[in-house]
Amino acid sequence: MNVAANSEGASSVDRGAASSGDGQILEVVNAIHRFGDVTALDNVSIAARRGEFLTLLGESGSGKTTLLRIVAGLERPTSIGRITIDGADATFLPANKRNTTTVFQHYALFPHMSVGENIEYGLRVRRISKEERKKRAEQALELMRLSGLYDRRVHQLSGGQKQRVALARALVTEPAILLLDEPLGALDEKLRIDMQVELKELHERLGLTFIYVTHSQEEALTMSDRIILMRRGRIVQEGPPAEIFDRPATRFVAEFMNVENLIEGSIRGVDRDQVTIECAGQVMTGPWTGRSRPEVGAKACLVIRAERLKLGAPPTSSSEPVNHVPCRTGATIYKGKYLDQMLECPAGPIKARIWDRAMPVEQIIGFWWRAADSAVTSLDAE
Amino acid sequence: MTALAERGRIDGAVARKPARSQLIGERWPTWGSVFIGYFVLAIIYFPILWLMILSISAEPLTGFPGDWTLRWYDDMLYGTGQREGEAYAVAGRVMEPLLLSLKIAAITAALCIVASLVVGPILPRVRFRGPMLLGFLMPLMVPGIVASVSLFLFYRLGLHLKMGEWSLGLAHFIWAFPFALLAMLVVSSRFDERLLDAAADLGASRWERFWQIQVPILKPGIFAAGFFGFLLSFNELPFSIFMRAGDITLPIYLWIQSGAHNSSVPLIFALSTLITIASIVLTFIAIRVAFGEPRAAKLKAKKA
Repeated sequence: MNVAANSEGASSVDRGAASSGDGQILEVVNAIHRFGDVTALDNVSIAARRGEFLTLLGESGSGKTTLLRIVAGLERPTSIGRITIDGADATFLPANKRNTTTVFQHYALFPHMSVGENIEYGLRVRRISKEERKKRAEQALELMRLSGLYDRRVHQLSGGQKQRVALARALVTEPAILLLDEPLGALDEKLRIDMQVELKELHERLGLTFIYVTHSQEEALTMSDRIILMRRGRIVQEGPPAEIFDRPATRFVAEFMNVENLIEGSIRGVDRDQVTIECAGQVMTGPWTGRSRPEVGAKACLVIRAERLKLGAPPTSSSEPVNHVPCRTGATIYKGKYLDQMLECPAGPIKARIWDRAMPVEQIIGFWWRAADSAVTSLDAE
Repeated sequence: MTALAERGRIDGAVARKPARSQLIGERWPTWGSVFIGYFVLAIIYFPILWLMILSISAEPLTGFPGDWTLRWYDDMLYGTGQREGEAYAVAGRVMEPLLLSLKIAAITAALCIVASLVVGPILPRVRFRGPMLLGFLMPLMVPGIVASVSLFLFYRLGLHLKMGEWSLGLAHFIWAFPFALLAMLVVSSRFDERLLDAAADLGASRWERFWQIQVPILKPGIFAAGFFGFLLSFNELPFSIFMRAGDITLPIYLWIQSGAHNSSVPLIFALSTLITIASIVLTFIAIRVAFGEPRAAKLKAKKA
């Protein structure tokens, strides 16, 4: 175990050295963290490019916040290979010596200081002169569109303003990496969507590396350059948003990314990356997105989004492969902009999204989709 | 029309309520409570007021006020007047207990601040916080006389130590610390640990986190701890009786003098009055310093 970890560590040292030239700003190698009997992080390694918007996505207890706190230095991992921040070794550096700052979920603004004093705090402990501090704090306030709030008390601010002050406070020290721990979690929905756009713009304007922790797949898709999806202290899948969204590696990823229809079956045939699976006598084909190479006879899961399903029979002229499944009509759920139509088919209930309400639902006897719109994933290792 | 109906309904609702409370007889007990409340206040304050009035009376020992004079204050402070020699002697004797009490009270206050600042912030977060808290607060439940006797037996007869100012300070600290700790816990149990994370994250060292984040936020608790330490020590009698080596603190002095039938007793009235007024003033200042600042800052922010 130890030897394996060491050799792995050594190989990533080489990788790290090779890639630091490409502007790698963060590297965490073999982080393990336990709280008592609970393993919060199970040997996780991540890296971030300079200027990247990297999102750690996962449900609560997936280890994403623990990983962020380890990067910040606020949590000392049970065991760690190496942490490199901006080219320098930071493995055993305490939080106050690391060139990272964090925007906390509940802001953690100092209640006994004014807005200005809060923002200046990072500069104050760096022994920067009063005039310089004030100048930079005013600039940060302007950047966050909070000009004029310098003398305001923290408790007089709204939730959105507090969030912006927390951001200004974290940015004013010009860190190498900005860490954001579910920063929008405490805001209401409208404000959250506005702040998503604002954060994305801020990221582009500053060119700073953002590491963003969230449990919201929607936030992750909207803002990130790359997503690392975590579950039970391990990385399940990482890649650009489109890849996680369209090519889930496991059933869990598909479910987490809100794919409505998950059909489990066994693999009947493999043709390069196209896999045919069978469920309740129904044979369907889709591109393989799973982890290891698909094997005939193994269990797998075909996943297809409700909006990609089309009702009726497939057009005969179609040149690309399609899947066609017979069904009976189930319940219709009114959703405002669209309808969710439940369909009963041998493989179980299926949900289809109908945007065109003129369709008479009683006549539905089958539905189809382009094989390329679905994906065949691995099942999750328990 | 509708407005009228609306009013009628509201009036109806209002009218029904007193009827119901009369039914269960709520009015009389309210008056009863008020009367008892004032009576308790009178029991507390009348003797103090009486003492103050007598302190400016010519013949306080007769128990009847009248013939207003500031002679006793004059005698106490300057030792002049008709019975010059005697009064001056008393004034000289009172200064010594007063200074000793102030000194012990200041030491007790300092000890209370340091100890409650060490224990207060971590106590809400340790595993056995319930039993720990109970342990710290136990001196509140042990009768003072029992605790002081046991301290005396342990240190004097057990360890054969000579009593002195150190033992007075120690006893007063043991007596005052539970109050100081409780005062600190009111603030420290609500302290948000994440603020220390945020400060560390922004580059603050352990020392800076303590002085710039923790201490200012715990300031009301620190003041309250010091204040309780000071006043409880300043007023303390039973522990002092056992834990002294001939030292006379102010309460001991007052106790001895008020029990003695000699001519210096009238000065006790004046002295107690001054101590009471000083205590009240000190309390107001402490509350202002501890809790007044945020309000002042709020006003400043409002003006700006």
